[in-house]
Amino acid sequence: MDITFLKRLATTSIGRKALMAVSGLLLGGFMLVHLAENLLLFKGEAAYNGWVDLLASNPVTPLLEIGLLLIFIAHIITGVWVRVEDFLNAPSGYEARNWQGGRTIGSATMLYTAAAVLSYLTYHMLTFRFVDHSMGFYQMVTGAFRSRAFVVVYIAGSAALALHLSHGMQSAFQTLGLNHPKYTPLIKIGGILVAVLMTGFALISVYYLLGIDLKAAEAGYQVVIIR
Amino acid sequence: MTKSKHFCVIVRVWRQAGPQEPGRMVSHKVQDVSPDMSFLEMLDILNDDLLKKGETPIAFESDCREGICGCCGLVVNGDVHGPDEHSTVCQLHMRRFKDGDVITVEPWRVKSFPVLKDLVVDRSSFDRLIAAGGFISVNTGAAQDANAIPIEKDKAEEAMDAAACIGCGACVVSCPNGAAMLFVGAKISQLALLPQGGPERAARALNMVQAMDKEGFGNCTNEYECEAVCPKDVKVANIARMNREFLLANLFSKR
Repeated sequence: MDITFLKRLATTSIGRKALMAVSGLLLGGFMLVHLAENLLLFKGEAAYNGWVDLLASNPVTPLLEIGLLLIFIAHIITGVWVRVEDFLNAPSGYEARNWQGGRTIGSATMLYTAAAVLSYLTYHMLTFRFVDHSMGFYQMVTGAFRSRAFVVVYIAGSAALALHLSHGMQSAFQTLGLNHPKYTPLIKIGGILVAVLMTGFALISVYYLLGIDLKAAEAGYQVVIIR
Repeated sequence: MTKSKHFCVIVRVWRQAGPQEPGRMVSHKVQDVSPDMSFLEMLDILNDDLLKKGETPIAFESDCREGICGCCGLVVNGDVHGPDEHSTVCQLHMRRFKDGDVITVEPWRVKSFPVLKDLVVDRSSFDRLIAAGGFISVNTGAAQDANAIPIEKDKAEEAMDAAACIGCGACVVSCPNGAAMLFVGAKISQLALLPQGGPERAARALNMVQAMDKEGFGNCTNEYECEAVCPKDVKVANIARMNREFLLANLFSKR
């Protein structure tokens, strides 16, 4: 059995970037699904906990979690590998050096936003995933969102994620060879749109921090985003 | 015709006696600079002065001096090929500077193009990339009629745009990662778009990309600085085509 093609995928610059791009797109897709799940918070305790219970009782869920973890690991390994090589090969030693407008804030800060997102994710897992869930998920999440320190982390993390995806989404398509005057402008707009949507995680937490749900309930309004 | 007002500039230039020697920035005053002079002509005048004083002239590369050979390549005041957009440094004119300006002149500084002397770098890594697959094989003998193979006009134009690459190396130097993706992407694209490149298409993509990695060029992080400085305005769509060619060749060719 000849596995040269697999070796090439893992060892060449373009192969590794392709792995990073595919894993990045999958993670981006997951984040959109996860945001949609979070919107269930607005529908109320029963709806949110019902969805969580449905996930928890599904035997496929642990497999999906392991798959997600592997995708994350693949994205991190390929990303770090690419950046370490680039650090070693980068032009250096100039007395003066100007950028000519190709790079963006998003592209120039990928490594830093990646580190910030990883920290955000770790915090998220430590506070929501690996804790006692006996109070119910809805109470746990909305309770956490009423803490100022917690929400500050969410705002910073979501901003880093948005910046990361502002470059990452369109970059992934370019890496996979999908660049054409017909659809590249759409990909770029779509990438920015996905990036902007990532601020939704922060906005949800701010909504509960400001107690908008409680104020609305006091005033007799019921906030229903999804019917 | 009125005579342009001549002026004086200070050139801070990288001097390095040889590949293994340490280098340093040295300042030279250049008098009587005409705004109509090209940047390289200004360096010629400086070199004449240095020779008259018995000093070693500054080594720099140039050939056509009309922006098509790709020999000249300098970083001027931190700008690859100087401050003009999509231009080579030989097309830069002294009218872009004013009296008393201090102009920093540095060579390409990237591992894959080691400095040989002063501003001259060794770009033979590009030659090795071309030797890895940037060609087509043809039978010798009488050439067939030029119009014997029909080529779609759009593709011919796209191939021509990629073929405009002059191999100056600005893409590598402008890249934050020192990648040669635009250079290799342009060559792979040019030949993949034309029927003559068909027979060796898969091997070319696989071999050139692997040769590029072996030479120590960096990875592409799609920052597009290369496209911004390329004197021939070669587009990053060529990098995407190279990625596509490589990934498809890796999955679907017998290699």
